[in-house]
Amino acid sequence: MRINKLRIDPNWEARLSSIGYGYHTMDGIPYWIDDYYYEISNQEADQIYKATNELWSMCLDAVEYVIKNQLYAKFHIPAFMIHHIERSWENDNPSIYGRFDFAFDNTTKELKMLEFNADTPTSLFETGIVQWYWKNHYFPELTNQFNSIHEQLIQSWTELKPYLKGEILHFSCGKETLEDLTNVEYLRDTAIQAGIETKLIYIDDIGWDGRCFVDLEGENIQSIFKLYPWEWMVREEFATQIVNDALEAQWIEPSWKMLLSNKAILPILWELFPNHPNLLASYFDKPSHLKNYVKKPILSREGANVEMYYDTQMIYATEGEYGEEGYVYQELANLHREDSGFSIIGSWVIGQESCGISFRESDMPITTDKSRFIPHIIRH
Amino acid sequence: MRKTTARNIQLVLITSVLASCAQPKQQSNTADKQRVFMRADSTAQYTEVTNNYSQGNGSGGMGMGSSLLWFMAFRHMGGSLGYANNSLNTQSVVGKNAAKASAFNAQRGGFGKSAVSSTPRSSYGS
Repeated sequence: MRINKLRIDPNWEARLSSIGYGYHTMDGIPYWIDDYYYEISNQEADQIYKATNELWSMCLDAVEYVIKNQLYAKFHIPAFMIHHIERSWENDNPSIYGRFDFAFDNTTKELKMLEFNADTPTSLFETGIVQWYWKNHYFPELTNQFNSIHEQLIQSWTELKPYLKGEILHFSCGKETLEDLTNVEYLRDTAIQAGIETKLIYIDDIGWDGRCFVDLEGENIQSIFKLYPWEWMVREEFATQIVNDALEAQWIEPSWKMLLSNKAILPILWELFPNHPNLLASYFDKPSHLKNYVKKPILSREGANVEMYYDTQMIYATEGEYGEEGYVYQELANLHREDSGFSIIGSWVIGQESCGISFRESDMPITTDKSRFIPHIIRH
Repeated sequence: MRKTTARNIQLVLITSVLASCAQPKQQSNTADKQRVFMRADSTAQYTEVTNNYSQGNGSGGMGMGSSLLWFMAFRHMGGSLGYANNSLNTQSVVGKNAAKASAFNAQRGGFGKSAVSSTPRSSYGS
């Protein structure tokens, strides 16, 4: 795995904007990298594919374990949501996607899971569409990329369609975030191509008519994809309406994903699969032997409130507003490092199968919402 | 194995829509501004909504029926869209339609507050 440079396309911003990618630059700083890229080998792509599928299977085992042993307190799940979570698990409510974040050590070739973005993963449009167009611009047709996200989304929606409630699948996200709107509209696009009737509604505009959730036309919401965190929804005004909903709307991602998007799942996985080659040792309480580690809030977003320790001395920390619910302690991983920064691999599982990757690069070894997106190809 | 990339990708919905969202704001030419009236039911009265459409509707030949409409569809106008759009007078939305009146009466805003109170960021995802 290595970085290669390209002669920059002077029209790169216009080229990206023309395909509907409007947030390639934030506050004047490029978020999308057009003039360098990662080149990986076929073996490395196979390794990521295999690890992603295996970890997904392990995560499902971990959800079963948490439910069976009623470990909700470790996840700070509100009591009123427990039945909803269990029902969504037992009913096998539809789930469409998730993204594992991996550290890759180029020397040992070890691939380690940092966390699983199971509820509201973003950068799907960049991974599935923008880097595909980027490859076609810079490389000949035969050059490959670990990226079948687009066709996997359409196939997954096609398979889920018979199990969706109601005639319409609503799609929702917060207002005034072009990044989330783009991700949601991309997902909606693929659902339309799978023959599903869809409607967009902002999360703030969802209504409650005293019996069920309704859209802006007063139409009942029976199936809804939301790019909005469960841990926020269950603390907002409509929280109890989720469980009082007479129509028992299907939320995608389903509420059982609250267990996987919570970093409390990391020590659970380590307990269930100790010394698994793709896991980092993780604990609820820091053991004395752990000298090099990362302290992460169980509920946090975009690398906020993370502290990194080397030989028990804090070497990096990020700001934020999380941590109230507690922390986990995870063995420090070796991140891939180039002159341009530290990189992690985002690996997507869609419809139960690994199907694409992205690279995010940061100046420091903690990935945040400011981390750059780097496209990739598979070496010939 | 789902490892290798597709040879063709087709998008049916979003490319032109999102490309138009990403356009820089244009100065509106108030002198030539087209006045816009809307109603959401044939039994309702019209309400003038020109101000809601002023952004990006001046120069550049972007009139109604262009991608501007798509842009507006994804942009909230100080309230909501659809029948519950509070930038459109209730009388212009509901008319004599009981179902639409019911949509207006639904309680809204019960989700989304955490995003507002959270540190400003480009995404609420992860």
